[in-house]
Amino acid sequence: MNSAELLQFVASGLQNGAVYALVALGFTLVYASTGIINFAQGEFFMLGGMLAVAGVRAGLPLPFAALASVVLTASIGLLFERVALRPRRDSGPTVLIIITIGGSMVMKSLARHAFGPNELSLPPFSPGVPIVFAGASIDRQVLWIWGLTIVAVVALTFLYSKTKLGRAMRACSLSHDAARLMGIDTARVVMISFGLAAALGALGGVAVAPLTQTAFDVGSRAGLKGFAAAILGGLGNPIAAVVGGLVLGLLESLSVAFISSTYKDAISLVVLLAVLFLRPQGLLGKSRREKV
Amino acid sequence: MARFLTPRILGRALPVVACGVLFLVPMLTDDRYLFKVLTFVGLNVIVIAGLALLFGFAGQISLGHAAFVGIGAYTCGYLTAARGVPWIVAVIAGTVLAGVGGFLLAIPSLRLKGHYLAMATLGFNEIMSVLFVELRPVTGGNDGLRGIPFASIGAWKIDTPAGNYLLVWGVAVVVLLLTANIIRTRPGRAMRALHGSELGALASGVDTGRLKTEVFALSAGIAGLAGALYASSVGFISPSTFSLEFSVLLIAMVVIGGAGSLAGPVAACALLTLLPYADALIPGLSKELIALIQDWEADISGFVMILVLLFAPGGLAALGRRLGGTSARGAGGVQ
Repeated sequence: MNSAELLQFVASGLQNGAVYALVALGFTLVYASTGIINFAQGEFFMLGGMLAVAGVRAGLPLPFAALASVVLTASIGLLFERVALRPRRDSGPTVLIIITIGGSMVMKSLARHAFGPNELSLPPFSPGVPIVFAGASIDRQVLWIWGLTIVAVVALTFLYSKTKLGRAMRACSLSHDAARLMGIDTARVVMISFGLAAALGALGGVAVAPLTQTAFDVGSRAGLKGFAAAILGGLGNPIAAVVGGLVLGLLESLSVAFISSTYKDAISLVVLLAVLFLRPQGLLGKSRREKV
Repeated sequence: MARFLTPRILGRALPVVACGVLFLVPMLTDDRYLFKVLTFVGLNVIVIAGLALLFGFAGQISLGHAAFVGIGAYTCGYLTAARGVPWIVAVIAGTVLAGVGGFLLAIPSLRLKGHYLAMATLGFNEIMSVLFVELRPVTGGNDGLRGIPFASIGAWKIDTPAGNYLLVWGVAVVVLLLTANIIRTRPGRAMRALHGSELGALASGVDTGRLKTEVFALSAGIAGLAGALYASSVGFISPSTFSLEFSVLLIAMVVIGGAGSLAGPVAACALLTLLPYADALIPGLSKELIALIQDWEADISGFVMILVLLFAPGGLAALGRRLGGTSARGAGGVQ
């Protein structure tokens, strides 16, 4: 394998990795402010792509359709938290997990009714021939994916570190009770986290749809990869989610290069299980012992 | 007279009556479609008995039970169809292999709780889905395995729909009796203690690590048994049957039925399995209505699952207890 081929694999790894990072950020945001894993996160990814396709088909200009799909998915995320999760806020994790699993079943199934069972495609954001860089050809859409991921990460970092809402979110991730005592409306913070997570997932779904096509059933795979990325980096830390996403994307694409494409999907799952079993706190996480 | 119809006696009598009706069905009808549908119910009931034990009583979630069903089905299918192994040996092999799979998955999963365990088992299901497709020499890839022979013991072949129905339900009743017995005795109490509080169970002398592995292996083995019976009942298996959706549906059955109960999940399992085949029991239903129900099956079970958790966390079991007038004893739904 020459260096141009290797670069090609690295580029495609970073392309998938950026999408995984967006989905992983959604997992991490919700986990940080609520302590639960949202099993419907992958469906937000699916909804992002599908709603954008529906928008374009309804005659909306592409940028507007993409934006509308992200906003709409975010509202679905907010609504889901408010209607289905908040009433059982004080239950154990199993109840909340199962509610999000039920939500994911319903979203996926409703998407099939609304958009049909077939694969759909979204036009590329900026049509044109791929850009050739050091012998590797990179699709223009990949640049969009990287650009949008960077914008999302910068915006999120700003939100987290500089704004009042971000401080409230960080406070909630440390202790809900203490945050509430300090006058933070924790229910609102949780709801906004869900909205943001949905928006990030949808952004990933919209950005990758022109390259890979989309369908009603892409959510569970995307969710699983995103979760693997979040776990790989270390759950609850946004930087770790991005690192985890990129590392997972690279691992996958290099395994295609050096092992075989047959087991590409299985490799990220094996990574997930290995991290869960050997280092549940993730690559960047600190080990935390459960105290009695 | 009415004095004898106490809930306690009803609770004892109902399963016996249900069994009687089940085994009388072949004398009343020879409707092949009805037998097929009821056989599916029986197969799912076997899986649910094991999952109710693991999830409903011990409180350990598994989103990978479809994969264990698949392991049992592919083992039995491959051994009987391609290797000519006697049926009973193949069924035992499928059961044991699934149980060993469950045991091996349980050892590292012991440390995992709640959402981590859910994700690990979900990941396991996805890995097995990939393997069912890719291990072509054994599984036949996406085309699946065809020509799996019917159940047979020696020269005696069980090749009629009615015979198969009786076989599956016979096994289902044995599995239900077994699980009910486990629940009533010492391991059942240990499981409930584990569900309530792992620390509390540990402090009371329950070896929670060992208990979790054993229950997980047993539950996976029961799922494998159902899979092996499925392979020889249907004669054809393909990877999509053992997908994550099936695992999720199984969890939905236990949740809707009510955690900490065996009868509730079995009832929910029968209802949810019969739902898309309602025309087998109710002859007047139009084809369009059935097609509509089949189309909306996932939405219905997803919605019902959320609604149950929001408004009736005890599920069907709590409902039954309320109707029967007994107070809830210990079982408090999903916690």
